[in-house]
Amino acid sequence: MGKTPQKGCSVSAGAPTMTSDEALMLEFQGGSRAAFEELFARYRKPLYGFFGRRLNNPERAEDLVQETFLAVIRAASRYEPRALVRTYLYSIALNLLAAERRKFSTSSTLGQSASEPKTDGTPEYALWVRQAMEKLDSPDREILMLREYEQLSYSDIAELLRIPVNTVRSRLFRSRLALKGYLESEAKTNPGLRASAWQPHPRRRGPQ
Amino acid sequence: MNTNRHPIEQEELMAYLDGELSADQATEALSHLELCPECQTLAADFRGVSQELLAWEVESPEVGISSELNAALGERLQKRQAAKVTSSRLENRVMTSRWVWAGALAIVCVVVGLKLTLTSRKRNEDRSTAYPSMASIEKYLMPDRNAEIALARSAAPEAISSDAKILLLGWRGYETAIEGKNGFVCMVERSWMSPFNSADFWNPKVRVPQCFNPAAARSILPLTFKRTEMVLAGLSKAQMIDSIKAGFDNKELPAPEPGAMCYMMSRAGYLNDSLGHYVPHLMFYFPLTDKSSWGADLRDSPVTLNPQFRDGPEPITEFVIAVGKWSDGTAAPAM
Repeated sequence: MGKTPQKGCSVSAGAPTMTSDEALMLEFQGGSRAAFEELFARYRKPLYGFFGRRLNNPERAEDLVQETFLAVIRAASRYEPRALVRTYLYSIALNLLAAERRKFSTSSTLGQSASEPKTDGTPEYALWVRQAMEKLDSPDREILMLREYEQLSYSDIAELLRIPVNTVRSRLFRSRLALKGYLESEAKTNPGLRASAWQPHPRRRGPQ
Repeated sequence: MNTNRHPIEQEELMAYLDGELSADQATEALSHLELCPECQTLAADFRGVSQELLAWEVESPEVGISSELNAALGERLQKRQAAKVTSSRLENRVMTSRWVWAGALAIVCVVVGLKLTLTSRKRNEDRSTAYPSMASIEKYLMPDRNAEIALARSAAPEAISSDAKILLLGWRGYETAIEGKNGFVCMVERSWMSPFNSADFWNPKVRVPQCFNPAAARSILPLTFKRTEMVLAGLSKAQMIDSIKAGFDNKELPAPEPGAMCYMMSRAGYLNDSLGHYVPHLMFYFPLTDKSSWGADLRDSPVTLNPQFRDGPEPITEFVIAVGKWSDGTAAPAM
């Protein structure tokens, strides 16, 4: 439940700095290839995760990451620094996702394709989590995923989905409680599975 | 949960755990959470859900920029370059034909503008920052002693901070609120520990929880005491800088000891108006060191050079490494 990384362009006590995404985007608008490559390096993996969880199709996820950046190139002149690059990229990604779903007439938020998620040694548990997520209402699930996996702030999510921030908060609250209920209920039927999930897992999210 | 007994609602507690509350609200939430078993259970539930969701990982293949993307990028950059050249030529033509008029106009503007500039310079300088000078001291103090203790402790995991010495900021500087057992010192730094040229140097909203290890408590913490003492004495920035330089020259201020570091893993801190809570991280202190020796600021390097003391009077280099969890054990965003 971490907060979205902020624009790292200012300094204060104990606060490290880095070139902000927005500064990189402006540099790219001005003709810098290096700035684009840095943005690509920063967001390639997060965007792959975004598409990967929603489509569950590694090949398409990879294609859509490239398409997202293609859209960035084509619309570079229209980007305005009042929008966070992070939010901007996910807004493009959401549009591409919607188009992809329309193309394949997929109604579910989570993918229905044949390939299974890469689960890094805990396939049953990852599948269990995914199935619990599928029980949530689609809008609630999307908010929960944007928060937990994309780590967007409430206001970013509100902006992307064009709903009030309070709605984001209340739906997030509801979906977390519901998910807790689903997971606990599943745990009762398969206690060993959940216990295995709490083993040390060196590849879980951490500093990258 | 009966909200009559709880100063914060359940949704607010969740928002606190998500780092979505303002510094004041977060402090209130943290303070209540420390004392309320019911809220601690709910917080544990939320953290548990987040933790379980981490099981669904998606491994990204190591793929670079595709040929199609590369071609589009090349085309875009080429067009941009062409536009720059065209624009530059056009500008040159216009300027050549009009330079005489522009020059004359410029002379008039300089004469008229000089007076206006001189008279408004001070006003403009003041407007350049939202916090041009020190606010009254009470704006920097936290009225709730327990809240400041909880905030200070939130800088490090409980296994460290529970036995640490706790300092609180009072009217006369930092004072010991709780004696420690493990040599660590936890406290909440204020805005004046920012670089001297920072726009947030006098920002009264800044609250930076930190837990120094014993080496840093001996060799870095004295800098905080020194700056705080001078701020409370009303010294100017120039006076403070001179005094710090003199302090290092005459060995009144120590060099960083080997192994000096601190924890900054609080989700309830407020680093400045741009960064807000920021991300949890650790800081390591050295005498002036080339950042390349740590590979800091290089692409994909997790190490960053912190500018807190860069170009400042303290001869200290400070490296930062972001970590994956807040002090309460919940996952945090990657840098």
